[in-house]
Amino acid sequence: MIGKNTPLWGKKTRLKSSYDAVIIGGGLHGLATAYYLAKEHGMTDVAVIEKRYIGFGGAGRNTAIVRANQRTQQNVPLYKEALDLWPVLTKELNFNLMFNNCGNLNLMHSEAAMNAARMNVATAQFHGVESHLLDAKQIKEMVPALNISEDITYPIHGAMYHPPGGIVRHDAVVWGLAKGAAKLGVEIHQQTEATAINTEGGKITGIETSRGKIHTPRVLVSAGGYSAGIIYHMLGIKLPISVLTIQAMVTQPLKPILDHVVSSGAYHAYANQTLKGEIATGAHMDPWPNYTTLTTAYYIKHQAQALSEFLPCLRGVKFMRIWGGLADMTPDMAPIMDGNDPIDGFYMDCGWGYFGFKSCSAVGKHMAAYMAGGNCPDILKPFNLRRYENHRLMGETAALVNYTPDN
Amino acid sequence: MNRLNNLPTLRINPSEKLTLKYKGRTFQGVSGDTVATALFANGVRVFARSLKYHRPRGLYSLDGECSNTCMEVDGLPNVRTENTLLKDGVTVKEQNVVGSADRDMMGFMDKLDWMMPAGFYYKTLHKPAWVWPLAMKQVRKTAGLGAISPDFRIKGRYDEIYPKADVCVIGGGAAGMSAALAAAESGRRVILLEARPWLGGCFDYRSAPYEDGRPLYERARELATQVRETPNIRVFTQAPVIGVYNNNLITAFQTGGPEDSFTERYIQIRAAGLVVAAGCIERPLLFDNNERPGVMQVGCAHRLARTYGLLPGTQAVFSVGHDLGLEAAIDLFDLGLKISCVADIREDGQNPELLLGLKERKIAFLRGWVATDVEGGKSIKKAHLSTVDGTISKSFECDVLIASAGLTPVTGPVTVAQGKTAYDHHTGYFLVTETPKGMHVAGRMTGLNHCRSIEASGRLAGLQAVADCGLDRAADIDAAEKTLAMLPGPERGAKLVTAPVKGRKTFICFDEDTTIKNIKQAIEMGFDVPELIKRFTSAGTGPGQGGIPGHNLPLYVAKYEALDTKPPKPTTVRAPLTPTLIAAYAGANHDMHKRTPAHHIQKAAGGVFRRIGVWRRARYFSQDFTCREEILNVRNNVGMLDASTLGKFRVHGPDALKALQRVYVSDIAKLKEGRVKYSAMCNDDGCVIDDGVIVKQGENDYYLTTSTARAGATAEWFRYHTRYEGWNFAVVNLTDAMGVVNISGPNARKVLEKVVDADISNEAFPFSGYREFTVAGAVPVRAMRLGFVGELSYELHVGASYMPTLWKIIEEAGKEFGIQPFGVEAQNVLRMEKCHIILGQESEQRTNLLDVGLGFLWDRKKTDAKTVGAAALKQTEGDTGRLTLVGFQMEDSARAPRDGSIIVDNRVRGYVCTARRSFSLNEAVGMALVDSQLSDIGTRLEIFEDECNGQRLYCKVVPKPFYDPEGKRMKM
Repeated sequence: MIGKNTPLWGKKTRLKSSYDAVIIGGGLHGLATAYYLAKEHGMTDVAVIEKRYIGFGGAGRNTAIVRANQRTQQNVPLYKEALDLWPVLTKELNFNLMFNNCGNLNLMHSEAAMNAARMNVATAQFHGVESHLLDAKQIKEMVPALNISEDITYPIHGAMYHPPGGIVRHDAVVWGLAKGAAKLGVEIHQQTEATAINTEGGKITGIETSRGKIHTPRVLVSAGGYSAGIIYHMLGIKLPISVLTIQAMVTQPLKPILDHVVSSGAYHAYANQTLKGEIATGAHMDPWPNYTTLTTAYYIKHQAQALSEFLPCLRGVKFMRIWGGLADMTPDMAPIMDGNDPIDGFYMDCGWGYFGFKSCSAVGKHMAAYMAGGNCPDILKPFNLRRYENHRLMGETAALVNYTPDN
Repeated sequence: MNRLNNLPTLRINPSEKLTLKYKGRTFQGVSGDTVATALFANGVRVFARSLKYHRPRGLYSLDGECSNTCMEVDGLPNVRTENTLLKDGVTVKEQNVVGSADRDMMGFMDKLDWMMPAGFYYKTLHKPAWVWPLAMKQVRKTAGLGAISPDFRIKGRYDEIYPKADVCVIGGGAAGMSAALAAAESGRRVILLEARPWLGGCFDYRSAPYEDGRPLYERARELATQVRETPNIRVFTQAPVIGVYNNNLITAFQTGGPEDSFTERYIQIRAAGLVVAAGCIERPLLFDNNERPGVMQVGCAHRLARTYGLLPGTQAVFSVGHDLGLEAAIDLFDLGLKISCVADIREDGQNPELLLGLKERKIAFLRGWVATDVEGGKSIKKAHLSTVDGTISKSFECDVLIASAGLTPVTGPVTVAQGKTAYDHHTGYFLVTETPKGMHVAGRMTGLNHCRSIEASGRLAGLQAVADCGLDRAADIDAAEKTLAMLPGPERGAKLVTAPVKGRKTFICFDEDTTIKNIKQAIEMGFDVPELIKRFTSAGTGPGQGGIPGHNLPLYVAKYEALDTKPPKPTTVRAPLTPTLIAAYAGANHDMHKRTPAHHIQKAAGGVFRRIGVWRRARYFSQDFTCREEILNVRNNVGMLDASTLGKFRVHGPDALKALQRVYVSDIAKLKEGRVKYSAMCNDDGCVIDDGVIVKQGENDYYLTTSTARAGATAEWFRYHTRYEGWNFAVVNLTDAMGVVNISGPNARKVLEKVVDADISNEAFPFSGYREFTVAGAVPVRAMRLGFVGELSYELHVGASYMPTLWKIIEEAGKEFGIQPFGVEAQNVLRMEKCHIILGQESEQRTNLLDVGLGFLWDRKKTDAKTVGAAALKQTEGDTGRLTLVGFQMEDSARAPRDGSIIVDNRVRGYVCTARRSFSLNEAVGMALVDSQLSDIGTRLEIFEDECNGQRLYCKVVPKPFYDPEGKRMKM
């Protein structure tokens, strides 16, 4: 508390001409991978290259929800590990990540939706993750503000309740990981843009940046929404990724009213209360691919309409701020984590859509192991790029997704 | 408190008294008061306590730039009372206090600021780990401003309108009004949006002379009258702009008055030309205790007197940086305010006439001086001033300090629409440098200060906006540009960033209690850009939305980091530009859904409706949700179902067949007239996206159905997959134009025979047949013999308007056989027994045609058609390990697993799609998608249900279908 303030993630240093590994993108996945490379594999000669400032992208724009009640057995263990890591990281980094273990309530508005949710619940329970189906009355007891009457567009039938989930302060994770990585020797170079990735004979040799050339045998691209563009333009690898704007907003701060993360697929809306008291809320992506992060008039209005129905007391609350971020969506709503294919020393960690925040800690750990040893850890194997070529989608989403007509 | 009741500038009506309740007492205000000015008139000086330190807060501005006067009004939290008009009889409460705003038990927090440096919450409260959950509860309780109860329901009527305008003008000041008048000259429709209840802007309350010697307020009223009298200008007052989007989409909300039909309404305007003349707000002066009750901005003090008839205090000190401060001092002195001194940050550059005015009134004037601190808690007693370099200081007793560092343009409406600003060294403002197409800026926000310049810039922008509508106004624009060029341009502004103070109690953001010391701490910790500092210190993230720190934060950061190379860069301004009620955004909030033409009949018959996609459909016809009676009546007798939600299309034109061949997996060329073909569509991955039937009605003329969910996407699907072909065909969506009634059960023919004019015997109209005939001699129907539920079944398609009549005719004819309606759930069970799939239920995103056993539909020979998905189907044909659809029978016939249960061994191997205890079969059966290695007949499957506590269920894979395997019943 008292004492001299020093830069959290190290003093600004000169960019060196060579590193053991370079990570493009100073977001959550890049920083987490850098941190674990240094901490668990002794690789400290690592540079994180960030075009703007750390946490500029999705890391600072998400609504900070964490959970491990995904649909498939490939995903649940990964997110569970990530969920378990928040308290561990808080301690390790000596930085309060403010994990609010408030639990997630995913509202269901029909019998069919309850059945679809049951698959997630059963899968979670099978993997030892707590998750239950509740009826409308039970959730009304938990969230008195909910409207469970029949006279709304999508009357509430029940919910999927996931007690281990909650909210983590997203900015804290960025700064905490940066602090932890820098302390172990990782260099974080902000306002440094990667302009090319160099290869020779199918191997990574280095990258070019706005501040000079770097030699390195390993490059990870984890640049969130910009990954697919970077990978295509610098290496010619085309990924089945559509980038869409996703918007979120907050209301003015209120005394505690909402003690859980409440979300609804039918209404395309989620809401939770931040520690500051704002109701953070958002919904689905915009229906057209773009890189703008612009907000739209339609979206905030839709959100107001949705909240008016299932959390009607919020009609008396004011929206204060809306912002947009990028979601890099794959056809099966599961990410692409791959390495050494088709270029030795090239790793990618992208296509996270709107799940990048909740997974970052565990993914950083495993990507670090991948990059340090060169072998893909079992848990990451299902997320390879080749699955699309083989028509083997992961099934993380039950419904058909259609971001653009061509994917 | 005595009002100055005779000023010509008043916007109150002193003779019309209103009341409000506060602290259990009834206070009196007058018509035109805001809630805060009424309280101020009654001696209230402390309106709220601050978020973190619980410092007393008073009236500082009158435009809602901070949360200082946020209160609860009639149960509504966070109402900005300073610019919310008083309504008679409201009840007002303080927020975020333990006790009252005057005596807040949490006031001691102000002494603990040393414990709360920038970002302290990231560094504390997490050691040991068990502390955090407890601490978090306290953090949540202390955070937040207003409170709302879970059963709160806002009163009033909320609405929305979408008016059309050629030109939209944001801001009803002199520039905005001039722009609107200029734009209206050409007869185009103009909309003028103004946040305050009246037009006039910064002229409205000022008695300073206009060019012709009249006071400015008279000029403002003259312009306002002209605007009101121009028929093609539509004025919205009390309508703050909340968003500006691409191609001049402007959103705002309007608060209604007593005579309006709405409490608030959402306004959305699309305009060809847009003028932003949003004016300026004041840049707060940074000194110690700069937000004490008693410290207020120049405009606030001036308008309190001129607009509301309230003197801001008795003895004042001015510390200002703009001529408006001098003008206000002179005017307020004349209205009776005693003034100890006027300190001006500027060494020179003041208007000589104003200096003369001060001299005539013997008001002490200090050049190059600034306030450094005020003494006092809930009111101020003394102000300390010093030279801007801090070398000499003086103190003055006073009860009000009127403080302002100068002005700052309101550029939010420009920057949210992707316009650009840059720091201007002459004015010290962030001035607009780039506007999106069709947007023009005018008035004080461009740095102008002279009254004629303001109007001339408005006129120019108005003409430019009309030119955006396609009118040639080049000559007028040229003249207006020349006029403006002749008038005084932007004036040099005061650049002082902070008074010479250390800054422990110098608040750069009031809402978040952020001091300049906090900003220094953040910078030292590596947060070196304003955007990061904003996140780390929360400066500018409160209800004032950056109104207070917006200008000062980037200036201070630039100064502290001594970044001469980079100009200061403001943080991003975001919509809504004014905090907006969710109720206002939601507007009318209609529940949009579709009803089938048989909706009311089914409702009367006891249908229990559910929302399915865009539709409301009857899911049950009794409270028995197992649907036993409905099911058995279909199996043993006859039932009728409303299937009107099916997607229905006519595809016709010379290339219609080619188009069908592209999207359907089957060979549609083989389809003969009079026959119905069942087929499916796949996506490029071979995954089934739709199934339905196709009927040939003529050469290249087809009628087809899709699933309910796909109806909306079907036309686009045809177009997309034929986009490079240049084929000539039309897709007509008949979904809403046609109704469908399905008659199913062994007695179906008997019912139908009674009412049709055709031979519908099994020979004349066999299974898979298609006929057109007339019912009751009047209703033309398209009839198909299908078997989705596994019984003899007719599906009658009719024009939607015939649907209720047809329904009644069938119902009447079926009476003697006991015909009953059945709902979607009964249909679900009936077809499951028959193993007919519903896409989305027996399939998921990755399920392909082969996985669900529909491979027989796929015609491999029509390679010329380039069937969508065929390539992927070929590639995956031999794959193992895919999820494959199987039928299963439970070992315990009394108990079906719940839908969505998973199939497991030591890992997940699949899941149950639909399973029911079958009344028809007396078995528990269902369908599941399982790993293809488990799909052989006879394989024992282990089922893991939710909440099973280790108890597994078992079943075995059996042949499909379960009911009537030979299909005799639907072909009878």
